[in-house]
Parts: sequence; C-alpha cells; structure tokens
Amino acid sequence: MAKINTAGVDTERVKERLDEHKTKMKLSLKACAHCTLCAESCFLYMARDKDPKYTPSYKFLNSIGLLYKKKGMVDKVTLGEIRDNVWERCALCTRCYCPLGINIPEMIALARSICREQGVYPRFDRE
Amino acid sequence: METSALFDFIRGPLAWISFIVFFLGLIFQFYRFFNLTKKNPHVIYNPRPRKKITGGSVQDFIKRASLSVFGVNPVMVIVTTVFHLCLIIAPVFLLAHNMLLKNAIGISLFSFSESFVDTLTVIFLFCGLFFLLRRILVARVRAITDWNDYFILFLATAPFITGYLAYHQTFADHYRLVISLHILAGELMLMAVPFTKFVHMVFFFVFRFVIESEYSLGKGDRTW
Ligand code: HEM
Ligand code: HEM
Ligand code: SF4
Ligand code: SF4
Repeated sequence: MAKINTAGVDTERVKERLDEHKTKMKLSLKACAHCTLCAESCFLYMARDKDPKYTPSYKFLNSIGLLYKKKGMVDKVTLGEIRDNVWERCALCTRCYCPLGINIPEMIALARSICREQGVYPRFDRE
Repeated sequence: METSALFDFIRGPLAWISFIVFFLGLIFQFYRFFNLTKKNPHVIYNPRPRKKITGGSVQDFIKRASLSVFGVNPVMVIVTTVFHLCLIIAPVFLLAHNMLLKNAIGISLFSFSESFVDTLTVIFLFCGLFFLLRRILVARVRAITDWNDYFILFLATAPFITGYLAYHQTFADHYRLVISLHILAGELMLMAVPFTKFVHMVFFFVFRFVIESEYSLGKGDRTW
C-alpha cells in the first residue's frame, strides 16, 4: 500500500474527533439510502443549476464520510477538497430535508470543525 | 449426497438462524439508535405548530402534499412507496410462506391469492428496475453511488426474482435448485437488514418519530 503523505495533519487528533462521534455518525452514514431526495431541499443546489456536487448527501459523504472511510488518515490536499464541500458548497443553513431523518447539517458541521482544527478553512482575508 | 445436505441446511437450520438474526439484530439496532437520544431538557419551542392531519378539505390536503417532498419528486415518492409496500406485503401474506410457517410453528397469517402476490412481485421488480436505471442514468444519483448500492439493490430483489422463477416453474427441471436459491436469497436478505444500508428502516422509525424537529412525524419529545 502506498503511504499517504499526512504531513501537516495531526491524524491522531482527527481520529480522536471521529471516535467521539462514532456511533451516531457511522449509523447515519450507513442508513443513508443514497437516494438524493435531499437535493432539492438545498437552496445552493437549486442556485447552482442542480450541480450534483451540491447535493447535501454528496457533501457529507465526501467530507465526514470520507474521513471515516480513511479512518482519519488524510493528507492536506484531501482536507482542502473536504473544505470545498463543507464551506464553498454548504452555508450550513440547516434546511435540508431527508426522508429518513438524517441530520445532514450536524455531519457537515463536524467535518468543518475537524478541518478547522487542522488549520484548513476559508481565508476570506487572503483569497 | 453432499449437495443434499447443503440443501437441507439451507431449508432447515439456516432459516431459523436468519429469522433470529433478523429479529434480534433489529432489536439491538433499535436499542443502539434510541440510546443516542435523550429526553429534551428544554421547553419545546414549536415555530410551526403541526396542523391536524385529519380533517381539512381536499384542497388543503393537496396543498400540503405539493409543498412536501411529494410535490418536488412525485414519481420517486410514488415508486418508493409502492416498492416498500410490495416488499413487505408480498412475502408476509404469501400463501406458500404461510403454509411453511404453519407447518413449522403451527400458526400463520392471512394470505392473499397467489396471483395477487405474483402481481405485487412483478410490480416490485419494475420498481427495482426503476431504481437501477436511475442510479445509472441520473447524474446526481450516480455521483454518490458505490458498488454497495448495487449490491444492496441486488440483495433486495434477488428473493423476488428467484421467488418468481420458482412460482412459475420457469426452470421446472431444476425446481429444487431454484427454490433453494430463493430460500438462500431470502435468508441472506433477512440477515442483512439490521447490519447494512437496510438499517434505514430502524433509523426512520427512531429519528422521524422520536426526535424533535420541524420534520418530525410523531410526538418528537426527545433530542440527540
Ligand atoms: C426465509 C426463508 C424463505 C423460504 C423457506 C421461502 C419459500 C418460498 C416458497 C416455497 C415459495 C413458493 C414458490 C412456489 O410457489 O413454487 C416462495 C415464493 C416467494 N417468496 Fe419466499 N421464502 C423465503 C424467504 C423470502 C423472503 C425473505 C422474501 C422477500 C423479501 C421472499 C419473497 C417471495 C416471493 C415474492 C415469492 C412469490 C413469487 C411469485 O409468486 O411470483 N421469500 N418462497
Ligand atoms: C419500513 C420502513 C422503511 C422505510 C420508511 C424506508 C424508506 C426508504 C427511503 C425513504 C428510501 C429512499 C428512497 C428510495 O431510494 O427509494 C429507501 C430506499 C431503499 N429501501 Fe427502504 N425503507 C424501509 C424499509 C426497507 C426494508 C425493510 C428494505 C429491504 C429489506 C428496504 C430496501 C430499500 C432499498 C433497496 C432502497 C434503495 C433503492 C435505491 O437503490 O435507490 N427498505 N427506503
Ligand atoms: S441524506 Fe437522506 S435524502 Fe439524502 S441521499 Fe441520504 S437518505 Fe437520501
Ligand atoms: S445546510 Fe448546507 S446542505 Fe443543507 S440545505 Fe443548507 S446549504 Fe444545503
């Protein structure tokens, strides 16, 4: 297995954060039917010409879902991609609707919090 | 006669094992999910008091429906409702299943006619085909689809495909093989329910009914 370059990422701390919320997050990730019924409830999805990358489930699967899948072993580039999913593509307005009752904003918020701890967040002052 | 022993195992002990795994697994997962919730310590602030579901004019009802997910995705909501109803009604009220149940434990449920259940089976399979095509063709669904989604869809439809083939004696010379595959498929699906994506069934009942939110369907007096 190729070793990933986790330089600059405190993977132990990421793992710790993931473990704190493990039961709920993993059950939520498992229960998601991957049906995309949540898509239209997101105003950003509607405003971005229904770009699939704005589907709420796409955003939590490719952020917190990815972190659990990799068990916290992520590099800076991946964290940057997660950042785009949880900040650029989500305003955390908490209006998404999932028929199963999955708490999408909470999942995205946790991904944000983990990224922020690792120094990955939008720098409006610089960008 | 090695294969025969395998068939006997599939029809006998494995059937019991799968029922036990199914029911105990569901109870276990329900317990785990429920344990994630706690009594809401705050006074419930309800920004949008729930309208009475009963009563109201037909127009009111249509207006409510059109504002819900039904109004946004009518086809999907209809197909998924039919899919899930068939998924439960067809096997539970099937004469062949109830006869086996009667032989095994002496009690059985009411059964619909075989032709009716056969129709439900076909409808179910068309709904499954709809989901499959949607997964392949709709960009936003494809974007979040992985091999597990196809596997789960296969696991859910396999008992129906094999049950259909057995009932119609499509491969009459190999009936024993077909029915064994059916039973195996049914058992695998049952055992998978508590531990795979199928667990959304438990999730739905806990989180849409128990948790307080603007979308809760029940009393919703707990939080998480
Ligand atoms: C667990 C043990 C199971 C046993 C022993 C079993 C046994 C049978 C038998 C004997 C038949 C009748 C075939 C015929 O008429 O020749 C049948 C049909 C059928 N089974 Fe099962 N089954 C099992 C599980 C399941 C499950 C879990 C499902 C679905 C969720 C299922 C769905 C069906 C359907 C839909 C048919 C009828 C198909 C049709 O009439 O077109 N079965 N099964
Ligand atoms: C009784 C409670 C249940 C509820 C409220 C429920 C609800 C839902 C919802 C809202 C979806 C997403 C929409 C869709 O893709 O169709 C879904 C998908 C699905 N459900 Fe259920 N479900 C329940 C039980 C089950 C059970 C017991 C099974 C199978 C054993 C099952 C199998 C599936 C499958 C295979 C899909 C995905 C279809 C696809 O690939 O898009 N469901 N369910
Ligand atoms: S979050 Fe809910 S609505 Fe969105 S894809 Fe998952 S199960 Fe479907
Ligand atoms: S919280 Fe994020 S994903 Fe949910 S509706 Fe708002 S912007 Fe969309």
